[in-house]
Amino acid sequence: MTTSSTLRPGVVDPGPPAPRPPRRRGDGAAALAFLTPSIITFLVFVLAPTVGVLVLSFYNWNLLSDGTFVGLDNFDRLFHDGRLLGVYGSTTYMALAILAVNVVAGLLLAVLLETRMPRWLRGFFRLSFLFPFVVSASAVALIWRFLLNKDLGLVNYLLGLIGIDRIDWLGSSAFAPVSVIIVNSWKTIGFSILVYIAGLQSIPNELREASIVDGANAWTRFWRITFPLLSPTIFFLVVINTINSFQIFAEPRVLTQGGPGDSSRTIVEYLYDRAFGDFDLGYASAIGITFALVLIVLTAIQFWFSRRWTFYS
Amino acid sequence: MNIPNRKVALACATAALAVTALAGCSSSDDADTSSAAKTLEIVYWNYGPAAESGNKATADAFMAAHSDVKVSLTPVTGENWGTYYANVATLIASGKHPDLMVISGEGAQFVHANNLVQPINAYVEKDPEAKTLVADIAKGLIDGFTVKGDIVTLTYGWNDMVVYYNTDVFKKAGLEPPSADWTWDDFKATAKKLTADTNGDGKPDQYGFTWASNEIFPGIMPWVANAGGNLTSDDVCTATADTPQVNKAVTFLKDLITEGIAPAPMPMSDVFTRFQNGQVAMFGAGRWPIATFLPAGFKAFDIQLYPKGDTYKTVFGGAGYPILKSSGNPDLAWEYQKFTVSDEIEKQYVGTPDKPGDSIPSRRSVAETISKVGVPPANSDLFYHSIDKYPTLVPYPAPAKYSTFESTVLRHLQQIFASETSVSDGLKNMQGELSGIVTC
Repeated sequence: MTTSSTLRPGVVDPGPPAPRPPRRRGDGAAALAFLTPSIITFLVFVLAPTVGVLVLSFYNWNLLSDGTFVGLDNFDRLFHDGRLLGVYGSTTYMALAILAVNVVAGLLLAVLLETRMPRWLRGFFRLSFLFPFVVSASAVALIWRFLLNKDLGLVNYLLGLIGIDRIDWLGSSAFAPVSVIIVNSWKTIGFSILVYIAGLQSIPNELREASIVDGANAWTRFWRITFPLLSPTIFFLVVINTINSFQIFAEPRVLTQGGPGDSSRTIVEYLYDRAFGDFDLGYASAIGITFALVLIVLTAIQFWFSRRWTFYS
Repeated sequence: MNIPNRKVALACATAALAVTALAGCSSSDDADTSSAAKTLEIVYWNYGPAAESGNKATADAFMAAHSDVKVSLTPVTGENWGTYYANVATLIASGKHPDLMVISGEGAQFVHANNLVQPINAYVEKDPEAKTLVADIAKGLIDGFTVKGDIVTLTYGWNDMVVYYNTDVFKKAGLEPPSADWTWDDFKATAKKLTADTNGDGKPDQYGFTWASNEIFPGIMPWVANAGGNLTSDDVCTATADTPQVNKAVTFLKDLITEGIAPAPMPMSDVFTRFQNGQVAMFGAGRWPIATFLPAGFKAFDIQLYPKGDTYKTVFGGAGYPILKSSGNPDLAWEYQKFTVSDEIEKQYVGTPDKPGDSIPSRRSVAETISKVGVPPANSDLFYHSIDKYPTLVPYPAPAKYSTFESTVLRHLQQIFASETSVSDGLKNMQGELSGIVTC
């Protein structure tokens, strides 16, 4: 047990914890009243739709006529859907790439932004990276679609100036998913940078200063001090970006309409088309339920692995 | 209880806010049904300001003429007609019971197949005013909205697919405007002359022609029709996507890209911009682009029929307000539908040179006033002549699952135009998939 006698000089003894104030009658009612909006919102907009989707997955329903109970038929169809596996593949490819860009490039950029530079320049860079994040995804994608046009877009024009031939960014199976990755990463990396900067600023300067005194170089300081203390932030961003990147919709919808073929189609786009293109709400619900389970399992795996590398000081 | 008043007030206010917010999400059906006899609920596709102002103007005019009727408009969003229908279906599933909904020709099969619509055959036969109106509407427009003998609705406005050309680009290239009897070969030769490398980097940056990659009607359908084909059988029960005629049309378009006369296909909104700035000399659409071009001050364009292939057929689509079976007052709804093709409303679709309508009035007598009023383009009379003088593509290749049908066609075309599959293999795959979608 730590006592005041063992404290280093300059460290103030916080003393024993203050006694918790007695709970007053009526506090529960007030707390409930404050919580009511959140509870109602959760029930109406989260729990009820979730239960609704679960129930719908056992029905055939086209929005306009009475539903028919079909048991597990919709889930059985998942195994016979010739396109679903391919769409899972394209979704995974794009999601992992977006995740990597956000977590790795986001960290590098955040570290660069924390280096010594004029305050106005730092503000300019921070604003530049964060701005796309607060703009509508559809609006961003519309502008990028214009820029990435193979024959009339600005990107290929600029590449042409350095001798690179025109790339079919939106029309080829190889580059369409790459375009989605670029546009989505460009839009979302500002959030990752913001969180990283907050994490970096919470690392005590004394540790860095002490390591400099001990002769540690920048690389050692990053791996021995910055990275371990930043690991909870990295873990948070891995989880959040995994969930978000698997759920992208607007960018492929606007940029490539999921094509060519299904090369840039995501699961969310696919289930949307089944629900509101085919009016096959039951099957779309089954896709949604299984997709949610996949994300839950992925997140659980991430939490399990995080115990090995996440350091909470 | 010993709770500070401020705390209680704050908690109550928070709860009240939540209740108010949720109440705002609830349906207003109860309020509507109490006076259903004199209320009309209308759902329309809110594709932009023109849709909102047009529907409001019609509703206001109807209420001015029928002071005891209240018309309630419900705008529904959607990226195209297909998603609009999906959103309306969601609205109906949530308990809304509209009297009328705006549909396009593609939606006629959808509302009919889903037993949503009340056919108007009996009204047309018995109402003397209807007979006069119908006589002034091109037969193709009536046929386009007739499913299995049932007339789904009268059409208030429509669009036929024509070729827009940039007159400045034509002048600069030293070309005469195209004539109505031009052929595919003439078209290709013209488009080739209009393709140019204007910045001297060795690659074209001005193209002769392009088409919308996100819609089939202003995209491939005029070419398919003029090759003598269609994407479905006449009864819209079987897909016919891998016929020699469809192959010929798609191969023609693919060659335009391969030969560098057309850029990689792009969505319609991008085409508008490229056309106005001269990067694309020609494209295909209905009358709706003028509602974008003229307010923006762009007038250097005119229109011509699509070039003739093995045949010539006018490809068109219209819109109307069918009476839904959920209507509590179908007779009043019929009066509204009839009102939408009255002189007063039809003139709105003519518009003025500064504020043009975005579709062609369905009444011939009104449509013929477009050129007299001076609404560009100069060749505006062509719009109605195309449906009066030439055979039309009837039926629309618009099965009940139109949204899925269109997205499937477009998905395979993307691969063909990106040279990721041959035309014949692409169409074969398309046909295979469509056979499960186009059914009766």
